[in-house]
This record gives sequence, C-alpha cells and structure tokens, in this order.
Amino acid sequence: MLQSSVIMLQNMTAELSLYEKSVSAAKVILTGFIVVFGMLLLLIGIIKLYSAIVAGAQNAADKRAKRKERVKEPVDADNGVHIIQKPAYITGPAADDDIPEEVVAVIAAAVAASMSPGAKPRIKSIKKANGGRSAWANAGVLDNTRPF
Amino acid sequence: MEIIQGFLDAIYGIFAGSGLTNLNWQNYIMIAVSIFLLYLAIKRQYEPLLLLPIAFGMLLVNLYPDIMAAPEISLVPVASKTDPAAAGHAMQFINGQWYYENPQYGGLLYYLYQGVKLGIYPPLIFLGIGCMTDFGPLISNPKSLILGAAAQIGIFVTFTGAIFLGFSEAQSGAIAIIGGADGPTAIFVTTKLAPKLLGSIAIAAYSYMALVPIIQPPIMKALTTKKERSVVMEQLRPVSKLEKIIFPVIVVILISIFLPDAAPLVGMLMLGNLFKESGVVDRIAKAAQNELMNIITIFLGVTVGATAKGSTFLTFDTIKIIVLGLIAFAMGTAFGVLFGKLMYKFTGGKVNPLIGSAGVSAVPMAARVSQKVGQQENPGNFLLMHAMGPNVAGVIGSAVAAGVLLNVIPH
Repeated sequence: MLQSSVIMLQNMTAELSLYEKSVSAAKVILTGFIVVFGMLLLLIGIIKLYSAIVAGAQNAADKRAKRKERVKEPVDADNGVHIIQKPAYITGPAADDDIPEEVVAVIAAAVAASMSPGAKPRIKSIKKANGGRSAWANAGVLDNTRPF
Repeated sequence: MEIIQGFLDAIYGIFAGSGLTNLNWQNYIMIAVSIFLLYLAIKRQYEPLLLLPIAFGMLLVNLYPDIMAAPEISLVPVASKTDPAAAGHAMQFINGQWYYENPQYGGLLYYLYQGVKLGIYPPLIFLGIGCMTDFGPLISNPKSLILGAAAQIGIFVTFTGAIFLGFSEAQSGAIAIIGGADGPTAIFVTTKLAPKLLGSIAIAAYSYMALVPIIQPPIMKALTTKKERSVVMEQLRPVSKLEKIIFPVIVVILISIFLPDAAPLVGMLMLGNLFKESGVVDRIAKAAQNELMNIITIFLGVTVGATAKGSTFLTFDTIKIIVLGLIAFAMGTAFGVLFGKLMYKFTGGKVNPLIGSAGVSAVPMAARVSQKVGQQENPGNFLLMHAMGPNVAGVIGSAVAAGVLLNVIPH
C-alpha cells in the first residue's frame, strides 16, 4: 500500500516524457468528451421523459376535472344530451378578493383605452402573478448578487 | 541613559519588525497590482463584488505576509517537568531534556482560508447560486444541455496545451478548468489538484469572467453568418412547478451516482434550487442566496486574494496560466457557437447559434452577451431566455467536467 503510494507520488512529480504527455492528454480529452456529453445526453433523455409523464398526468387530471363538471350538468331526459347552462355574461367577481377595486378599475380603464373606439372588451379574470420574477428581473438579480 | 537606550531599542524593535525591513520587491509589485485591481473594481466596476475582496486580500498578504501564516509549535527547554514556566503546557522529553510546547497561532486569513482549502466555500456558494437559478428555460428546451456540454471542450483541449507547456498533470487539470468559466468550480478543483496555483488560477478565472463582454463577441461574430445571427427562436413552452421540483432531485441522483466527485458542487447547487422551487422553505432560500452567500463571498474573496503572495505569484508560470486561461475561455466559447451552428443546421434554422456561447457558464453575463450580439443584427430579437438554457447547462456541465478531472487525474 505504502509502496504503491510512493510510486504514485513519484509518477506525479517526475517529469513526463513526450509519449506520457500525449497519452495523458488523449486520455483526458477522450474521457472528458464522452463522460460530459454522455451525462448531459442522459439528462436530456430523462428530462424529456419526465416532462412527458408530467404533461400526460396533468392532461389526464384536467380531463377528469372536466368530466366531473359534465356529470354535474343536467341531462335532457328525452334524448340524453347534457344541457350546458351558461350565463350570457359572467357576473361573478373577475378579480381575486385581495385585489382592490381601484386596481381593477385601473386595469379595466387601461384595457378599454388600448381597444379601438366602440369595442366592448370584457375582462374575465384578474389574478395576481405568483410572485416569480421575469427573465429580465432574474438576470438583473443574478448580475448584482452573483459574484462567484 | 537607561531610559534613552530602552527607547532606542524599542524604536529599533518596531523598525525591525515593520514591513520596511521584511518585505521584498515582489511584495511591493503585488501591492501596486492590488491597488490597480481595487481601481478596476471601484472605478470601472469590473465584477466588484469579488474583485474588491480579492484585491484587498492580495494587498493585506503582501503588506503583512504572516496574516496567512500557519500555526506552529515551538519547543522551549525547561529544567524539569515541574518547572513553573511550563505550567499548563504540553511537555516533551527529547534526548534527556524536557521541553514545553509553546503554540504560536496562525494568521487571521490562514483560518478563514481553511474553508477554501477544505473545499467548503465553493459548494456553499453553489447553494446560493442554486437558490437564484431558474432551470425553467433548460427544462423547456433540454437540447440546450448539448451546448452546455460543448462549451466544456475547451477545458480538455487546454489540458493538452498546459501539459505540453511543462505543467504536471494535476496542475494542467487545474489550469484547464478556467475554461469552465465558473469561479467556485475552478477554486474547488484547484484546491484539490494544485493548491499552490490557486491565486493565479482564481484571478485568471475571475478576470476572464469579468471580460466576457469583450472576449466573446469577436469569436461569436467570426464563427457565424449574419443570417444565422438573425434567427428569431420560437417562444419557450411554460414549465410546470412539478417539473421544476423534480429536476434538481433527478440531476443530483444521476450525477452523484455516476460521478461522485462532482456531488459536492452539483449536490449543493440542486439543494439550493430545490429550496427555491419547492416554495416551502422561503426563509432558508432567502438566507442561502443573501446572507450566507454574501458572508462566504467575503471570506472566499479575501482569502483567495491572500494566496497571491509576491514570491509565489510573480513567476513565469503565472503568465503561462493567464495565457492558457484565455485560450480555454476562447475555445469554450468557440465550441459552444460551433455546436450552436450544428443545431442550426439540424433544426432547419430554428436555433440561433449565438446562444451556444452562453454554454461557458459565467451566469448570466454570457447569456446577456448572446442577447446583445443577437440584437445588433435584429433589434427585435430576444435571445436572453433561450441563452439562459445553455448558460445554466454550462454550470452543470462544468461541474461534471470538474468531476471528470478529479477522477481521471491522480492527486
């Protein structure tokens, strides 16, 4: 054990011949190239696989939710067709409860101002963003906070 | 008379212990270099968060080298084991003489440097980086991992250059990792392969990272056509929260199993990312990316700078390291862009090759350079998010490359 350590130390400190240098360089390039690409290609495959699984699971969940809604809808007794009752206009609150009315008014005014005259835009929903930063904001934060 | 003699002795003692008699010409040159680096950090704002502490550490160690001195134990001879002078000290009996051990403590920066030497700081920095990194663009377009891998080729090619320039295998590996353009990774590898070169390698790595906007654009323009640079890429698909949560867990399992040497870096990076994406430990995530990272940055910067003592830094090897580092960096950029061109061809012109240069890490500067060069051809083109994919892939790629070097090279 000790002998092999001494030999290894001698190998590390001794000046390498041209042949040894070439072998070492070729070994590092080949291993590095294959391992780095291999690992990252494997990662690509796994990301694609689990993304497909997650997307499939989410689609299935969405479909189940829609089916449940349909079951709740009344059925025409004569021909068995689901009767979909939709109000002519959505009258419920479009905005989340914690968004002040003033903010809703400002958003509605901004939307109306951006449309052509005479158009009657209808706001269906106003939701707070989930707090995530935009790509630009992220880049800015990283630029200022990532020294290393 | 006795008072005057005592006064003169005291003055002489102060003079003899001062830098005026203890410093050599190399120290004075390094003091000038450190003041120049302070100027670049403060006035020019070149990576000031790291350059300022590095430059100040360099200044301190060249003014007072003992600030990095290791602790020592001196043996003081005493008449007997029960000598009152030795009370409370460990004793040694050598050749019929009793000695007591008189410990002399190391310098302040020596103790702070242990975090670098033992490989503790770089993974902790990666923890903070993980908390700030959004892997969404990478998950949305996993092919960008290829660009992150391609940009690491410069590391392995530079290894060849270094070994033929007379560096040992271990030193060549440490120099080559500059091409990864990732500070913590470069420090982590160097402390394990060639700790004596740490000052030169860290300063070269960080200098090139600061100079990304100057080094990369000419290479990117030389290797691409106007048509390629003008490609507008399709918008990335939105990535669900579940996908973002699964990503760090899968990456850490995969890389730690196949390449355990990369586990400390990748593990901490992914832990930080899971803190962020899980959304259930906001307090910890904020602490990791703010307080912890800032504290470690101070310790890391000052102590890395303090490794640049005049006598060890001012050598021809440092010049060779700086030249090889530049080659590594340029090669990484070039290979990233060339693989970007390959993807441009294979996708029928859907990929803008400029995003390939972002594969060298240097987050987010390299991605911003891709964005800027792309906008020079087409002001309405926004490549930033597309370039963030290879950019964060480069962080993973350089950690994997570090694992390969640590695995293949005897140290």
